[in-house]
Amino acid sequence: MAWPQIKKLRWRLTLWYGSTFAIVLLVHIGLATFLHYRQLLQQFNHAEIQELKTAEGLLYQTADGQVRIRDDYFNHPQLRLSLDRLLQVMRPDGAILYQNHRLHGTPLGGAPLAREGVNSYRHTMVRLSDGRIVIMVSHVHVMNGMPVLIRLGYDMEPLYASVARFIFWLLLLAPFSILVTGYAVYRATSGALRPLSLMTQRARQINAEKLNQRLPVIDAEDDLGQLSIEFNQLLARLDDAFTQLKRFTSDASHELRTPLASLRSIGEVGLQTKKTGQEYRDIVASMLEEVSRLTSLVDSLLVIARSDSGMIHPEKSVVSYLAMMQEVQELVGILAEEKQQSIEIAGDASLRICVDRGLLRQVLINVLENAIKYSPAGTRIRIDLQRLPEDVVELCVHDQGPGIPEEEKTRIFDRFRRIDDGRSRERGGAGLGLSIAKWATEINGGTIGVRDEPEQGSCFYVAFPEVITAKNV
Amino acid sequence: MHVLLVDDEKKFALALKQGLEEEGYSVEVVFSGEAALRALEHGVPDLVLLDIMLPRRSGLSILHELRRDGMHVPVLLLTALHTVEDRVHGLDAGADDYLVKPFAFPELLARIRALLRRPSVVPQSLLEYADLYLDRSSHSATRNGIALDLTSREFDLLEYLMVNHERVVSREMLARDVWQETSRYTSLDNVIDVQIARLRRKIDDAFESKLLRTVRGVGFVLRED
Repeated sequence: MAWPQIKKLRWRLTLWYGSTFAIVLLVHIGLATFLHYRQLLQQFNHAEIQELKTAEGLLYQTADGQVRIRDDYFNHPQLRLSLDRLLQVMRPDGAILYQNHRLHGTPLGGAPLAREGVNSYRHTMVRLSDGRIVIMVSHVHVMNGMPVLIRLGYDMEPLYASVARFIFWLLLLAPFSILVTGYAVYRATSGALRPLSLMTQRARQINAEKLNQRLPVIDAEDDLGQLSIEFNQLLARLDDAFTQLKRFTSDASHELRTPLASLRSIGEVGLQTKKTGQEYRDIVASMLEEVSRLTSLVDSLLVIARSDSGMIHPEKSVVSYLAMMQEVQELVGILAEEKQQSIEIAGDASLRICVDRGLLRQVLINVLENAIKYSPAGTRIRIDLQRLPEDVVELCVHDQGPGIPEEEKTRIFDRFRRIDDGRSRERGGAGLGLSIAKWATEINGGTIGVRDEPEQGSCFYVAFPEVITAKNV
Repeated sequence: MHVLLVDDEKKFALALKQGLEEEGYSVEVVFSGEAALRALEHGVPDLVLLDIMLPRRSGLSILHELRRDGMHVPVLLLTALHTVEDRVHGLDAGADDYLVKPFAFPELLARIRALLRRPSVVPQSLLEYADLYLDRSSHSATRNGIALDLTSREFDLLEYLMVNHERVVSREMLARDVWQETSRYTSLDNVIDVQIARLRRKIDDAFESKLLRTVRGVGFVLRED
């Protein structure tokens, strides 16, 4: 069934686009969150160093050697996120000289590491004993000739909270975006595929009886429109082939019917009254004549059927066109002699063509027999062979017959086509000779046709590409 | 001469049987491949006429079996299959000859004679029938002592008719054997009729008794009254 198939296609496309979009979106969110975190961290680090430098300037030693900080200046944090700065000053041996009150007595980091903060600002992440995670910067400062290690830290909590909010909003929006995209894709796909459903519906109505129907072309420019056009051309070709086949079948059965009808009547009439032995012999003989007509008709039909199904493959060889014509003239020339017709052949025997000998013979026999058959007694049949431009060799059979009306010139090569039906049937043949000749010419790469003679009669021409051999160059 | 005819087309087979019996052959007809094999077990005939398209077992498979069992009886295939491949197939399978239906009965008789005559005798150089004489070596013919002026085609035609004298020859036989036209769809009937008419003019017109007769619907025969 076509309909569910198409629906499935829409859903498949939607699902495919949707999931791709979702994956891209998630990667995007992840990356954005990471960059946001990195940037905040950098801001923290930068702010810490600035504040640490400030703190250095604000540290002083009381008379009893206590370290203090002037905290009146300290109320303007650079970073709104980190109000919670923690400060601890230590001696290099680890003794704590000063802690600000926000530490609530918890030590900021453990014992000093070797060379911690010497000539540098060292950033570390520490976890305080009360569970707070702190990003901490250490620096060694010389106060009154005494080195002290200053550690300044920010609670990471606000940073984490900011990142969490960031990712929360993005993730909250993500399903919505995905749904919107999916819907848009579904709508777009449905729209794009609508011609396809129309085509499907129409296609379902087309069968052997209704080959004249065509698929709708909604937009000739797009892919589906192109598909429709191609499909319609295919249908047109099928339609032609079917029509031809139908005509051929009906013509063939008509042609078969004629000898069958004679057979039947001759037999029935023969049995009506009692007859002499000789009369019966005549009846049987007459029936046999009809049988041989039937046989040759069936043989021709078989040739046509086999040619139509591509079962005949020409076995080509290089032959002298003139020699072939002479051979054929020798064979059927006797028919012309009976009608006191003369046959003249002129041409260059070195003109060669590459064809299947048997098939070419068939063509030439048919064309020459045709000329003899339709020319009045005592006339002349002139055959000439000449080289045309573009390396084509053309054989012309000129007769002095009645000529062929313009509208019949191509149709005489159709199957079962005869001009002036009754008369030519009398002369034998079912009108298949020229159509077989046409097929045999074309399968050998040649062309066949008929032209008017300037004065009277017609000229059948059979042309093939010339084979240039070393000899005649 | 005993002939085994294998064909499932009963009407056709019985007609052939009658025709062959009138020619002096004894004919056994069977309608299937299995029956043919059974008949062959009882006794080997002088000739087998075998149809290819038989029900259930094809004629070709019967032929295979026959040859595999070492039977050298001549086999003439009768079939409606007429492409070159079909012929090659049949002859490859071990058939001695191949005849396409529908065929002319005289042609079947000629083929049967040819198969039963093998190995053939050396052709005589001098043929004689009634008061007709034909000398193959000098390419000349006379009737009643009067030389006949024949073209080479007419000579071949007369020779063929004399070899087959008192037997009907069909147009198909003439096309194949005298004109050497192998293609079945090249109909030479017109040409043959004209040629026969000319030959008749030369050998019969001047004489009281006519020899070359037309058997309407079948062919031609050289026969004295």
